[in-house]
Amino acid sequence: MPCWYYDKKELRNTPSKLDGISYETEMRYRKEGARFIKETGSKMDLGYNTMATGMIYFHRFYMFHSFRQFPRYVTACCCLFLAGKVEETPKKCKDIIKTAKSLLSDQKFQTFGEDPKEEVMTLERILLQTIKFDLQVEHPYYYLLKYAKCLKGDKTKLQKMVQMAWTFVNDSLCTTLALQWEPEIIAVALMYLACKLSQFEVVDWIGRTSKHLRWWDMFVEDVTMDLLEDICHQVLDLYQSSSSTAPESPPLAPRAAQGSHTPIKGLVTSNGQEKMDVDSSTTVASQLTCAMKQQQQQPAMPPDAPPYPYNTLPPYPYPAPTHIAPPPGPPHMSGPPPPMVFPTYPPGFPPIPPPNAAASGFYANPPNPNPNLPPPHRPPYFK
Amino acid sequence: MNSKEKERYIENFAFPFCDESTKYEKVAKIGQGTFGEVFKARDKGNPNKYVAMKRVIMENEKEGFPITALREIRILQLLKHENVVNLIQICRTKASASNKYRSTFYLVFDFCEHDLAGLLSNVNVKFSLGEIKKVMQQLLNGLYYIHSNKILHRDMKAANVLITKNGVLKLADFGLARAFSANKNGEPNRFTNRVVTLWYRPPELLLGERNYGPPVDMWGAGCIMAEMWTRSPIMQGSSEQQQLIFISQLCGSITPAVWPGVENLELYKSMELPQAQKRKVKDRLKPYMKDPYACDLLDKLLVLDPSRRADSDTALNHDFFWTDPMPCSLSNMLANHHQSMFEFLAPPRRPSHMRTHHSLPGTRPTTSAVQDSSYQDRVF
Ligand SMILES: Nc1ncnc2c1ncn2[C@@H]1O[C@H](COP(=O)(O)OP(=O)(O)O)[C@@H](O)[C@H]1O
Ligand SMILES: [Mg+2]
Repeated sequence: MPCWYYDKKELRNTPSKLDGISYETEMRYRKEGARFIKETGSKMDLGYNTMATGMIYFHRFYMFHSFRQFPRYVTACCCLFLAGKVEETPKKCKDIIKTAKSLLSDQKFQTFGEDPKEEVMTLERILLQTIKFDLQVEHPYYYLLKYAKCLKGDKTKLQKMVQMAWTFVNDSLCTTLALQWEPEIIAVALMYLACKLSQFEVVDWIGRTSKHLRWWDMFVEDVTMDLLEDICHQVLDLYQSSSSTAPESPPLAPRAAQGSHTPIKGLVTSNGQEKMDVDSSTTVASQLTCAMKQQQQQPAMPPDAPPYPYNTLPPYPYPAPTHIAPPPGPPHMSGPPPPMVFPTYPPGFPPIPPPNAAASGFYANPPNPNPNLPPPHRPPYFK
Repeated sequence: MNSKEKERYIENFAFPFCDESTKYEKVAKIGQGTFGEVFKARDKGNPNKYVAMKRVIMENEKEGFPITALREIRILQLLKHENVVNLIQICRTKASASNKYRSTFYLVFDFCEHDLAGLLSNVNVKFSLGEIKKVMQQLLNGLYYIHSNKILHRDMKAANVLITKNGVLKLADFGLARAFSANKNGEPNRFTNRVVTLWYRPPELLLGERNYGPPVDMWGAGCIMAEMWTRSPIMQGSSEQQQLIFISQLCGSITPAVWPGVENLELYKSMELPQAQKRKVKDRLKPYMKDPYACDLLDKLLVLDPSRRADSDTALNHDFFWTDPMPCSLSNMLANHHQSMFEFLAPPRRPSHMRTHHSLPGTRPTTSAVQDSSYQDRVF
């Protein structure tokens, strides 16, 4: 069985790295490819689930192949094409290519070669084999909505928090987080981040018992604060390197030209340590301001969270039932859970939190500066 | 990477998760459908292990890997149950110049020695009442499982029901299956109604219903149940219209009185529906089935109104399965026919002229229709 989760060491030792592409450049390629899937998908009115599935295929693909062998925008199109079929929202290959063309510079589109459709079709077979026909993927969105349903508190604030966490989930798909942690854990971490930023303090939740110290103890086990912060930082790091200042990426260069790939200046390490060492609060604050600005500047990533009540889940059975159904007798085929009666959430990204949001205790304990710490272990999280 | 380099790369890349088909050695071709060829093969690494390999046909695909095959794979990966055929893996041929660097893919299944259509067409195979109960119980168990997991099979028929030499029944061919959910936000589903081989197609589909669910498979289960005794499909219409007439003649006239809301179905007005037909399910099947419990269960499965048709849970609780003779294993009976049906390949067991005979535009033809020509002589 393939395991689709990797530790940080493995993520720094990918086929691209072995092919002479720096870690920073690879992270940028992953971000650009994933964003491109999101942009192309949005332009074609594909749902968030389809786009997320495509982005996961994309990240998995490059754990086996190098960005030098397979140009990212072609792969991105192919992943979106396949995800469309898998998620029952199929789009014609030629339409995806047409949309891609409209979004890419001529130079970038050249990587599609003479016959772009043929290129994508051939790649599809390679993609399928690479991802082991493991087509069904779960995303944090589902868990985000599920967990949010259990939280008690001011409804408006709760909705604001969910909206913000939703956007973070969108953005997390541009990182390798989905290659590191299960969607349940990413959902918890990004809700934690959104709670801090939107000043939504979770004091009570449905199903609370004396055993539960934090609300997420209900859903996941042994998630440390270090782990949560690490995940949050990986998303926040995205906003650090504004794409406008990043150098235009060259088309795939032959091996000899590999020196021309300049890493993005100022990209912090994934746990944000460099910055933390200097002055944790200002750095975090500047990251956040940057994050908010970028999210506002990103019309391609509209807040697409379904409105309250959160009962518009994707049609596929979730979570993927892997159990054997019990013998006949007990009632089955029960309907969806009763909808929660909440006012409809207004569209639009929530306002920027007050500047002191970050200082209000969120990063009170900066992450352990010891870079030699082993990566967080993976105990059985799920009850 | 130029195209030559890419070809070499693809040829040499050892996909860690996707075995080559040379792992298996083809023994015989056992099926040919529109959506795939099926081979019996032997695992070279484990010579006592036989598999069925279903080729994914991609030749005429404009949109790459067929969405139907993706669906089948995804659903089979999800369903793991004693009474559902087990997908072992997907394997591939090596990309090379000879296949234009395009791999062929195979779905690899545990091999099942028999399919129900084959057994029913073999006059030497005789089922006792207990054995029939065992077949139906396993079939309903499989349906209970897939329906609880929100999957519709949509192609129930004897040819898609496999039985191992040990008598374990496996639902197979999820090529038309799909996930369903209870109507979300009160919005009706809009599924295609061009599914299910005509002879097993329930009246709601024939009348154009698009918001259907598990009862479509229960109708097929009823048709298969009757076939356990009649040995041939009980309603062999040659058009949708004729199928509706056969259904009315057996199950009674299709009217709003017995099926509230039927008048709202899209094709209710445009189809000719025989009036004043009495329901004769029990009367017409009693001579074959004899057992009153069997007749009663069939009567509850072949119900016109899908909302009143028995579901798998109800059916499994029916007295039929809980009265003597109790369901009993098929393994002894099958031991006498232990040579797989697939071994008799000459003359072809599946005359090809039957295969597309009942296909309609846009529908899937009655693939691998196993009706021997001898079926035509039987009068039901
Ligand atoms: N696992 C298997 N073991 C033995 N025979 C099989 C198996 N799977 C399929 N077959 C045979 O091949 C035929 C066609 O396979 P099926 O999955 O129904 O494909 P199609 O979509 O072409 O009908 C079946 O009717 C059955 O006779
Ligand atoms: Mg079939």
